[in-house]
Amino acid sequence: MASVKISKLEKQYGLLKVLHSLDLEIADGKFVVLLGPSGCGKSTLLRMIAGLEKITSGDVFFDDVRVNDVHSKDRNIAMVFQNYALYAHMTVRKNMAFSMRLKNIDKKIQDEKVAWASSILGLDDYLDRLPKELSGGQRQRVAMGRAIVRDPDVFLFDEPLSNLDAKLRVQMRTEIKDLHQRLKTTTVYVTHDQIEAMTMADEVVIMQDGRIIQSGSPMEIYDNPNSLFVAQFIGSPGMNIIECDVAEKAGVKSANHESLCLPLPSDAKVEVGQKIFYGIRPEHLTANKEPSAESNSSLTIEPGVVRVVEPTGPETHVYSKLAGQDVCSISRERITWSPGEAIHLQPDLQHVHLFDGQTQVAL
Amino acid sequence: MPSSFFKPTLRYLVSLIVVAVFVFPIAWFGLTSIKPISAVFNKDRVVVFDFKPTLENYHVTVLGGEKASMVGGQSASMGTSGKGAYDGRGSILSSVIIAVASTFLATAIALLAAYALSRMRFWGAQGYLNWVLSQRFLPPIAIIIPLVFIFHDLGLRDTHFGIIIAHTLINIPIALLLLKSFFDDVPVEIDQAAMIDGATRFQCFYMVVLPMIRGGIAATAVLCFIFSWTEFILSLFLTNTIRTIPVKITTFVTSTGSEWGYISALGTAAIIPGFIFILLVQNHLVRGLTMGAIKD
Repeated sequence: MASVKISKLEKQYGLLKVLHSLDLEIADGKFVVLLGPSGCGKSTLLRMIAGLEKITSGDVFFDDVRVNDVHSKDRNIAMVFQNYALYAHMTVRKNMAFSMRLKNIDKKIQDEKVAWASSILGLDDYLDRLPKELSGGQRQRVAMGRAIVRDPDVFLFDEPLSNLDAKLRVQMRTEIKDLHQRLKTTTVYVTHDQIEAMTMADEVVIMQDGRIIQSGSPMEIYDNPNSLFVAQFIGSPGMNIIECDVAEKAGVKSANHESLCLPLPSDAKVEVGQKIFYGIRPEHLTANKEPSAESNSSLTIEPGVVRVVEPTGPETHVYSKLAGQDVCSISRERITWSPGEAIHLQPDLQHVHLFDGQTQVAL
Repeated sequence: MPSSFFKPTLRYLVSLIVVAVFVFPIAWFGLTSIKPISAVFNKDRVVVFDFKPTLENYHVTVLGGEKASMVGGQSASMGTSGKGAYDGRGSILSSVIIAVASTFLATAIALLAAYALSRMRFWGAQGYLNWVLSQRFLPPIAIIIPLVFIFHDLGLRDTHFGIIIAHTLINIPIALLLLKSFFDDVPVEIDQAAMIDGATRFQCFYMVVLPMIRGGIAATAVLCFIFSWTEFILSLFLTNTIRTIPVKITTFVTSTGSEWGYISALGTAAIIPGFIFILLVQNHLVRGLTMGAIKD
């Protein structure tokens, strides 16, 4: 096992700079998820850690040893690819044992390791099959088996679940997390699926346009997004964002969007006339059929109109129109809403997120 | 008549006609090879099967037997057709040596080059590929005179090795392009997975990628073999005593007439090794060996 440190790492293809001076420290045994939209450079970063991409400038350290010039085969890493990349002409057993065969490890030890990995991954009955005789989920398990028999210092996953169907993805998510808890190997996991990131990571690193925007534990990022981008990227359904102007009436500041007048937290660092983005997560909007009597602010918000109701079982998502804006609220109470009905929404002021209108940075 | 009966019947008939068009010349060739000379030159009517089949043509050309009957007793005295002139055994051996060796060489060289061109980024790769392809645009006849001189000066003229080199060079471009397309079908992640597993570039080439394109290699080898087996111009100009089968057969057209019986016997016999070679590799000629390696 090893810690991974990335220092001022840059990648450039010709004139195009895809990674801008990245710094990142991954402690030994941690599960770190690189999260971002397509093209943000997360896979490139992973491939540079793997040694599959040349480093333009900066350094990669494994346990304080600089590995920039160490060939992939000598880094003692294991990688699981999005398309599995299995050796099609080899049986499951041979696929898993391939790395040990290259190292001329004793055949008995090879068999033991393969047996150990296949029992963890539930592949015992498939050891003598070829990859083409396996289902997608089984192939993905073989790819993981090939990785764990190595006993690597670092595990690298490149969107390993994105080719699986929804149900299998949830199952494999749990399996990968369970595997990490058992093996405690440092893991770097790339995905564009924020649910995967939230559910699996010890630490999430959010990337955009080749830069690290924010990193921290999943809940830290969820509760305190440092920018509009992070706020919108994390959470499902996403945070409600309304573009507002700050105004003041009778000494009380509010965020106004057309006829809509939203209350601001008392400690909000905003000035009158400032353009801001007003963010509130769906679960922090209380929906009522009547205007709430014990409103905790002097402002009452005009009622919205229910558009779509999505009951998921434990909770109900209500999508409504509020002064021309689409707003989602989540409630765990079983209130029956019907489209066209008036809905009174009240934000929980403790959980309001404000972002500057220009810089989009959290205020 | 219901269309479910009519359509398949029509399709069957049409395919039968197409097959007949292709098979007829070969069949006629084969038929001629077992005809006695009187039947070959029957001017009155086309003889299909009212003759006594004979293996004499094969006896002479393939087994090197004595020529039993002369056409009108004229042949022996007329120069070219001396004793053993119709013995094709040497040419069969030469053709086998040349075709097998040049196929092996061309495939082996093209494999390494195709892997590099498919997997590695280097300056001029595309230009190199176009240049290699352009080598195939030139008809061999255009370069035959300089080639004869060069081969003569190098002492390669009239040697097996010389013809092997010539055929290898002609075969490399097409083998390279074919094999590159097969390599391109194998996702590059396979190589990367192997390298992360600890393989060197060469191990990853021969332990992982090569077995995955077996079918492609077999197909390429068949094409190279057939080219070399049937090649005429280069073999004609670059040899005097070593004669490959296509060249040997032309010597059966003599000043005293064409020995159609011998021509068709050796020609028919020449189909057999190619046929055997294709039978041997046909199991590998299926695509889809990479199936299961990746999510399709």
